[in-house]
Amino acid sequence: MSSTSEFIRVDVNMNTCVGITQCGGCVRVCPVGIFQKNGDAPAVVAKNEDECILCELCLQACKPRAITIKKLYET
Amino acid sequence: MRLLEHESKRILEKYRIALPAGRLVGPGEPLAIDGPVMLKAQIPIGGRGKAGGILAAEDAEEARQKVALLLQSNLRGYIPKSVYMEEKKAVKQEFFLGVTYDTVAKAPVAIFSAAGGVDIEELAQREPALVRREHFTVGSRLPVHRAREIVADAGISGKLLLGLSPVLSTLAEIFLDYDATVAEINPLGLMEDGRLVALDCHLEIDDDAVSRHADIAALEKDTGRVEGERRTTDFEREAAGIDSLDHRGVAGRVIEFDGNLGLIIGGGGASLTAFDAIRSHGGRPANYCEIGGNPSVLKVRELTRLILSKPGVDKIAVIMNVVSNTRVDLVARGIVKGILECGRSPAETVAVFRVPGAWEEEGFKILSKYGIPIQGRTVSIDEAAKIAATKAN
Repeated sequence: MSSTSEFIRVDVNMNTCVGITQCGGCVRVCPVGIFQKNGDAPAVVAKNEDECILCELCLQACKPRAITIKKLYET
Repeated sequence: MRLLEHESKRILEKYRIALPAGRLVGPGEPLAIDGPVMLKAQIPIGGRGKAGGILAAEDAEEARQKVALLLQSNLRGYIPKSVYMEEKKAVKQEFFLGVTYDTVAKAPVAIFSAAGGVDIEELAQREPALVRREHFTVGSRLPVHRAREIVADAGISGKLLLGLSPVLSTLAEIFLDYDATVAEINPLGLMEDGRLVALDCHLEIDDDAVSRHADIAALEKDTGRVEGERRTTDFEREAAGIDSLDHRGVAGRVIEFDGNLGLIIGGGGASLTAFDAIRSHGGRPANYCEIGGNPSVLKVRELTRLILSKPGVDKIAVIMNVVSNTRVDLVARGIVKGILECGRSPAETVAVFRVPGAWEEEGFKILSKYGIPIQGRTVSIDEAAKIAATKAN
């Protein structure tokens, strides 16, 4: 099974992200498992990016607004 | 899932419903019997007697010959893997006891007739007065006193009434406990000694509830219990595997055909409509399938890959009803991704994509990007089927 995302790109700006201990909202709220813990930082699970249902819960949960979601089919 | 007679009877036994002495006999097993026996082919169909699947034998040699005969017989498409051998007893009277779900009344219904051992639907049409039906609720179930009213209404009284009522009540318990769609004892025999014995039993379990019952789920996984003329193909097994990749939606109830047009179809019965429409327009489906309930992109992608892996399939038709519970964009992502991963062009591979409904604007953006023509809700399923059949031929 391929792990390349074709439609959705989710990025976390690690310069802005405050880490799992202080926030961790993305890992907690994503219903399709796009984020996972990697030490104290969230990591994007590339093989799940195309499962993103665009609910934007992660955008709302991310305290420092470090997450961006890009629809690759609109570019 | 329809249980075989001996599987159904093990459940009756668990609920203390009396059965004739019997055992399962496989090919070449030695038979030691004390008296006349009934030999019953274990196949999941009704009307086994008329189909030649139930034979009587008076002694061990006759039983051995008839078991061998049954195990070689093709009974309406099924070749029995085993025979259930039961003692043959004189029966004074036969009764019909059944519980099923009335989809019009939206309630379970208990059915009783003092004229058992016959086709109950035929009897209900011919002599409706002989068939007593009574609805009950899942909450209140069918206590013995209500079962007694049903049996009494059929003209039964005395000891027989007291004997029959608990059996009907227990059958309703089995129906509810096992998430059955049909629970039937036909006939329940009144023996010379006054005992009531379940001579045959038919249990069907709701396919969607099989996972709730470990014993039934184990039977379902046993691929050796029934041998039909048509076996599940590797393609269909792979599709079932895809459907179980995750819990989200359905994408993989597949039946394989030998055509050249792959189908990814579904939506509230639209699968059958689309399939028939494609055939009526001269299309040759490579498969039937059902998708719905918002399957994950992964499942749609893997199903697409599987269908395109079938030799001779170079086009797929994606047709659904107007869907509110399945997102068009997620289906589109799965289809396009599956095609790309097969190294093919989405624009050339998709014969038609007619899935209007939730998130269709996002879905149409995806289709546009990959050059797939958009068929909205103004295009009927029949018109979409015609487009697909024309492009595939």
